[in-house]
Amino acid sequence: MNRLLTTFAALAMALAASLASAATPEDVENSFFPYRNWTPEFPGLPPGSVVNQSNIEQFKDVVDFMMYDHIKQGWYEIKVGETTSFDLHPNYVQATRDHLNETTLGEKVGEINNFVAGRPFPEEPDINDPQAGLKIAWNYKYGYNWGDNAAIAPFYWKFRDLESGKIERTIKFNFHFLNFMHRVNQAPLPSVEPNPGQLFRGIYVIANEPFDIKNTQLLIHRYENDLERDDAWLYLGFQRRVRRLPAGQITDSFLGSDLMIEDFEGYNGRISDMNWTYKGTQNVLLPFYNHNDMPLSEDHPEKDGYKFIDFGNQGGCFAQVTWQLRKAHILESDPVDPNHPISKRVHYIDAQTYTIPRTLIYDRKGDFWKSWFICQAHPDHHLAKNKGTGVSIDDCFTMIDMQAKHCTTGQFKGQLDPEMNPQRLFRVQNMRTTGR
Amino acid sequence: MAIIKTNATRRCVPATVVALALLMAQADGVQAQEWEDWDVAGFAEAVNHWRDSDGPDGLVKQRNTLQIEWSRSRGPGLSVSGVLRGSYDSVYDFNDSEFGSDAGGSVTIENAGGTGIFGPERVPWGQSIINSPLPGLPGGGGFGFNLNQNPNEGLILLGDDINTGTGGNFLPGFGGVQLAYPAQPCDDDKRGCIGSYMNKDEGDLKFPEFNDKLDFIRELYVDYEHAFESGRAFNLRVGRQQVIWGRTDLFRVLDVVNPVDYSRHNIYDELEDIRIPMGILNAEYRMGGVGAFDDLNFQGLWNFEPFRPNDLGQGGQPYSILQAGNFFRAFNNCWDNGCTVANFAPAPDGSPALLATDFGPNQIGIRDADVPDDWGDTAIGGRIEGVFKGVGFSLNALSYRAQLPTLSGRNIESDNPFTAEVESQDYPYLIAFDIKFPRLFMVGGSADFYVDPIKSAFRVEMTHTQDEEFANTLNPDLYSESDVLRWVLGWDRPTFIPFLNKTRSFLFSAQVFGQHILDHEKESGPIGPRGIPDFENNYIATLLINGFYKADRIQPRVITAYDTGAKAGVVSPQFDWLLTDHWRLIAQGNFKWGEDDQQFDDNRTANPFPPFTCPPPAPGCDFNSPSLGLGGYEPLGRFQQGPIGMAQEENEYQLTIRYQF
Repeated sequence: MNRLLTTFAALAMALAASLASAATPEDVENSFFPYRNWTPEFPGLPPGSVVNQSNIEQFKDVVDFMMYDHIKQGWYEIKVGETTSFDLHPNYVQATRDHLNETTLGEKVGEINNFVAGRPFPEEPDINDPQAGLKIAWNYKYGYNWGDNAAIAPFYWKFRDLESGKIERTIKFNFHFLNFMHRVNQAPLPSVEPNPGQLFRGIYVIANEPFDIKNTQLLIHRYENDLERDDAWLYLGFQRRVRRLPAGQITDSFLGSDLMIEDFEGYNGRISDMNWTYKGTQNVLLPFYNHNDMPLSEDHPEKDGYKFIDFGNQGGCFAQVTWQLRKAHILESDPVDPNHPISKRVHYIDAQTYTIPRTLIYDRKGDFWKSWFICQAHPDHHLAKNKGTGVSIDDCFTMIDMQAKHCTTGQFKGQLDPEMNPQRLFRVQNMRTTGR
Repeated sequence: MAIIKTNATRRCVPATVVALALLMAQADGVQAQEWEDWDVAGFAEAVNHWRDSDGPDGLVKQRNTLQIEWSRSRGPGLSVSGVLRGSYDSVYDFNDSEFGSDAGGSVTIENAGGTGIFGPERVPWGQSIINSPLPGLPGGGGFGFNLNQNPNEGLILLGDDINTGTGGNFLPGFGGVQLAYPAQPCDDDKRGCIGSYMNKDEGDLKFPEFNDKLDFIRELYVDYEHAFESGRAFNLRVGRQQVIWGRTDLFRVLDVVNPVDYSRHNIYDELEDIRIPMGILNAEYRMGGVGAFDDLNFQGLWNFEPFRPNDLGQGGQPYSILQAGNFFRAFNNCWDNGCTVANFAPAPDGSPALLATDFGPNQIGIRDADVPDDWGDTAIGGRIEGVFKGVGFSLNALSYRAQLPTLSGRNIESDNPFTAEVESQDYPYLIAFDIKFPRLFMVGGSADFYVDPIKSAFRVEMTHTQDEEFANTLNPDLYSESDVLRWVLGWDRPTFIPFLNKTRSFLFSAQVFGQHILDHEKESGPIGPRGIPDFENNYIATLLINGFYKADRIQPRVITAYDTGAKAGVVSPQFDWLLTDHWRLIAQGNFKWGEDDQQFDDNRTANPFPPFTCPPPAPGCDFNSPSLGLGGYEPLGRFQQGPIGMAQEENEYQLTIRYQF
């Protein structure tokens, strides 16, 4: 009898907990359309205003401490644009509605149950929920970042001296992304089949310039099972061989840049590699804009007339774009591996898109190390082919190594074009076949 | 004429395949596409090597190279690519006294038994005591050669740079054999130049790509891809290309589709730069994920270009792996023109002494090189490659001609130097050879995988090759066949060394290479070991440590290798500085060490000409018999010294300046 009572009591508590955390359709609407009936505001910061060295004290509550420092030193000034809605693709939103409350966290970090598609945890994060950070991390992993597939072609990276502004190196890449599972928009739906390894996502990178790394290719396979370690391979043009990449190289400088592979897109690793802590939600300035409205660079002209985002200010490390006051979830991640080269990252997750436009990175000792921006462009004001794709387009980046006084900048030509990302591109053999 | 027909037909094959690819492309609608812009890149560089050696030294390489790599695509399914390379090595102009038209000089040959009536301890080339006028020489014979045709000039003693003396430790006091090789380019000195194999004139050496093989067209191929709706794809690449198999660096276990040019910089250049691209039809069917495989692909290839062996460097070139080119040139001169060999013939009076010996033409040496050139000599192979549960793997098979030469003593019609007649008959155990490139069949496989607890990636390769040929002094033809197992285990791990670089890891990459000769034959003879000189089991270990500074633009690295059998090693510290996106400077050293005690049976004590060469104490002097095992450094010690040990005196300082675009 006692055992029966105990069982009922446990079931009742589980049901109560479930009901308490259950997301509602309103949560979904608020999550995907936060600016439908509301616009974040801050006194003295209307669209068109400029935050600079002279007035930064007034606006220190809408920037992170390192952004405050950049502006305080006169390295950069923020031109404020109107806050606009970056609506994600309707299919992704509908998938969230269709599978609302079906997804639950597993027993271990890295385990998730019953996820099908869409945003797994659309409810507003609760500071009192010890798993809120983890849920945000899953929302990011299964976000509509680059949609079902995308290419960045070309993609210029520049290594710059933060103090002198000298460009030390320019690398021309192509990046390709393909979601093998949880697809909501482009055929095949919902998965690329066959997929015997149960891959969730593939990332394929090829360097086209300069000559010393030409034809270097990188392939990353991320498995659906988050507890399974990513597989990564590198094709070295000067060796014409594919080499398996030890995981340590995922957390090392990528081709000498200030980024590690794990930094791609804000965070490019397993959920289970980190401990996740939700630190609150805040309205902050983030680099969201309409690409075609920006003053664009004359460098690297494209045949179709596309122009890249320009860089300037201190060391040429800062994107010449406008910023919006947006709602962001602050998420802290610290590595499970004590030998990881960083001690923690602080991510500013855009609450509407679940992209990571801003991250602060601390070294192993706990000292501040790197300042990481990823600009987000609206797809309807970018390449014509991107219009209506419902993807918040990564459009430029800056990674500033504050200790080395060095930065790497990135200029994107993001293309939401399925034909550029065939499945065969994401196979190891493709690197050998196409390698030269 | 037949060969001409064969080559003409062979040239038609790639043309036919290219035409077929274009037709298929047309069917695919590729023809409707526009040609895209040319993708052109390349570099110009000056490579300078200085050598400190007991042999030819000073400036050993001053190579100026222009390389242009290009490709052009038409739609996603068709592209044409090529690599053009031309170089000029001025060392043959600036240091011609060591490596050009003035290389070499007169030599004297060791005459260990020459302490009394049999002459001095060293005798000039062509003037040994064992010569036809010698009274009491059994048979009277045909020893000696025409010094006017084979003068004592332009010569260098074989192995003199790495060995002190000639060896002969198995029976002290008798010394080892030694020969001399002509060192000048073949248009300056034709001696020892082997018609279809090692026969480069000064122009060929200075401008190595501008030859009748059109090597300046380093690569030129057409790629065609047909993508199926299922996600699978068929790829065809036809033309002169490199096909790379395997997963290891430095060692060629599976990577044997293309031959290699070791004359460029021994084993120390990147394989990409020294593989000899060949005309290959390379077809792949890429299935992608299928069944339990994350990736599965099938490859078939046919190397239709006429066979080319590895370029080992010819006698007198700065780089000659194993000094094989020097050895071959010395031995071929021996056959064509005669030669003086150190410490060879027993003293005619029966005293325990060996004397320098003048052999005449067609008596000993290398008669010819049989470089295959027929349809039956083309290579054909296949590979299954894929990924299974995260483990990359391949299974490979290749039927091909050996790219390394072997010396076959079978059916060599020679003259007996002890007689005046011209016999032209095959003598068992006689050191007279043809260079052969036997057909081999290799099967093998490779795998790579990651071991998370130790943060390391591993690479494995293993092959089994049938019927390789090895020198064997126990066999009447002085070679025997054996199957061979080769394997490599590689380990890669990025590792932080905080006191050297707190933000960027160092790459540690180590490999162990093993070789096992399954039918190895070696025994203790009455004097010393005899049989196959190569070790039955041998291991070579390598270690690379690569650091990265200043956004990877400055990369210090150290590469080391150690050959356990040869007891020889090399360390190469390098400083690679990318000054800008265009300018690169590489300063490096290449320092070797080793023990020069690798000696082996040299077949002096065989009995090819009974009863004249009946070895004391003369049991059964009336029939041919193998060597008793008297040996020295030359010529077979080189197979134990290996490529590192044979170059142990070639310490070098190297500077490369490159402009890339």
